[in-house]
Amino acid sequence: MPRWGMVIDLDKCTACQACTVACKVENNEPIAGPDGSRRGRDIVWMQLLSVVEGEYPKLRARFIPRPCMHCDQPPCVQVCPVGATYKRPDGLVAQDYDRCIGCRYCMVACPYGARAFNWGTPQFQATAYLNPDRITSRNGGREGPAVRSAGVVEKCTFCAHRLERARARAKAEAREVQDGDYVTACAQTCTGGAIRFGDLDDPKSEVHHLSRDKRAFRLLEELGTHPRVIYLAEG
Amino acid sequence: MDSVAARALEREHPDLVPLIRTGWGYYGTVAGLLALIVLGGYTYIRQWIEGLAITGMNVPVSWGLYIVNFVFFVGLSAGGILVAALAHAVGVERLKPIGRVAELGAISCLILAAIFVFLDLGRPDRWYHLLLYARFQSPLIWDFAIVAIYLAIAMALGYFSTRADLVRCMEALPRRRALYRLLCLGYVDVSPPALARDRRTLKVLAVASIPAAVLLHSITAWLFGLLKAHPGWHSALLAPLFIVSASVSGLAMVIVALVVARRFLRVAVQDDVIHDLGRVLVLAIPVLGYFLFAEMLTVLYAGEPAPLSVFQEMMFGRYAPIFWFNLMLGLLLPILLLWRPPRWAVATVGIPAVLLLSLVPYQLQLAIPTPLGRFFPYVLGIFLPAWMEYTLIGLLTIVLPLLLLAGPRLRTVDRIGCAAGLVVLGVLAERANIVLPPLLKTLLPYPAGSYTPTTPELLIVLGAYSIGGLAFVLLAKLFPLVEAHPAAEG
Repeated sequence: MPRWGMVIDLDKCTACQACTVACKVENNEPIAGPDGSRRGRDIVWMQLLSVVEGEYPKLRARFIPRPCMHCDQPPCVQVCPVGATYKRPDGLVAQDYDRCIGCRYCMVACPYGARAFNWGTPQFQATAYLNPDRITSRNGGREGPAVRSAGVVEKCTFCAHRLERARARAKAEAREVQDGDYVTACAQTCTGGAIRFGDLDDPKSEVHHLSRDKRAFRLLEELGTHPRVIYLAEG
Repeated sequence: MDSVAARALEREHPDLVPLIRTGWGYYGTVAGLLALIVLGGYTYIRQWIEGLAITGMNVPVSWGLYIVNFVFFVGLSAGGILVAALAHAVGVERLKPIGRVAELGAISCLILAAIFVFLDLGRPDRWYHLLLYARFQSPLIWDFAIVAIYLAIAMALGYFSTRADLVRCMEALPRRRALYRLLCLGYVDVSPPALARDRRTLKVLAVASIPAAVLLHSITAWLFGLLKAHPGWHSALLAPLFIVSASVSGLAMVIVALVVARRFLRVAVQDDVIHDLGRVLVLAIPVLGYFLFAEMLTVLYAGEPAPLSVFQEMMFGRYAPIFWFNLMLGLLLPILLLWRPPRWAVATVGIPAVLLLSLVPYQLQLAIPTPLGRFFPYVLGIFLPAWMEYTLIGLLTIVLPLLLLAGPRLRTVDRIGCAAGLVVLGVLAERANIVLPPLLKTLLPYPAGSYTPTTPELLIVLGAYSIGGLAFVLLAKLFPLVEAHPAAEG
């Protein structure tokens, strides 16, 4: 089974935030509005972190796109009291909107801040396109792009609905799903080609090679969460 | 009740008189509490419909006042167990009469704690998922289980220490007979062997409650202490700290309840008992101070940037008023109040001491921000040098209250009550400082978080407090809060 993972080359990232927008559209992420945004209620699965280092005039800005790390030891899964967030057999960390009770323990436990909460009923622009793709969780609840209700937690799924379709295509061709069969919306849209997605275990895959690069690092590796998102440091 | 029967009751059961004799003040209090409950309930319905958007919580501060209060009330429930353990397990006869108040306090605090968790849920309609799909890897489920167990023990303790008096009420107040029989669960045998059995049961329960209490407070600490996502929580000291602050605040809460019951509900509480509890409290507060100091020294000395930033926020940042309130008015002032140095000593030692301490950071040239200048920039701050500000604050918060409260005018019992009330508020501040500042800080470079509770949030919290207050004043009319015949003639 492929070990889906992402490599983000920070040298290639232009901080254009096309990934953020593509992700918002692909996954029906609601908008918080100017007031909600000011109050810290944005729902952004793929967020661009910006850090300004140094002092004028020797300033350096760093930009780090941050999806869910889909940790192999996910702290959020550990603390969820009802099993609404769980590790799928293929290793993706999923979130069941019908199981979640909204205690937000996972948000408190996630060191990456990758989780968002529906503080109120999700709002969309009147003309917004809503992705009709649906997937179900292991409990039969709604997952992925399905429009959420107020009071539940949501997060990046590595576009698991795309994986579902890729799997169906592969099945029609009577083979297992493999590297290159699907990429996430952020990887597809990335203007600088900084975000690469694929099977980390496949020795022929691009992400496998990139993940062994000497610039490769993972965020907060020291916490022992074993993230599946690998960054390539600015060189 | 007609006057003949009332006079008979006064003669035979003087301690039951407050049960039927009710003043206007009491009705006023009940009405006020009910109004607050209705207001809070209405606001909660709004929260149910509109979602948690009406609170001040956000990302990264995704837990706010509700969780602070949950932790606070779990801690307060420790008082019941402490008194019960001392009275029934260790056998301190003097404390037995007040065991009941302590148990009732513990029960109401635990119910309030459960209410606060419920208030915090984004999908309260799915609360039963906690039962159906419980995952035992989650500390929240441990907490859920231990709160349930502890509540059961506290209820059993309350039942067996109240049963004999309920039977007495059943006979003395025939109108409420059916109600008392129901509260006794039909077990109305008050023969000496039955009472002896009650005492043995109480002893077993009190012993069993001690490990349950240790677990309860440890698990509540582990809700935070096991997480590595925010700096400032991941500490092995957190669980013992929670046990100590729970004991201190719980004990203080029992004292407050006793003083209130004595003063406003005319319940006959022995002065000696309150003095004794005050003595235990004055010994317990420094232990809490020591734990806080040990935790702070470890972080400040090591100087790791992430935990240090949390402590800076706590001590000198936006949470500084809460922190210094906890330290000065929640720990130091209560010790001095309980200890009661004579007035001349306060005046001759206290004022120079405050002055000297204020000059220390000035002399060491520590860049400690000036509190008044920070929070009231246009009032006083800009005109006063830092050391004068510290002096002013020290005089206003410690020396002046001591001079006012430690005088002979205030009765000793009321003074102990004041000190205990301050301790309870101080521990509430401590809880806020344990939960909130670490949430503001993230390990990744996110923009700085902030959290201001909104009015609806405060109204809901106030409503929940009022439920606890109402339960207390209603129960005070249901049966004598203090056993009239200590230890059931044992």
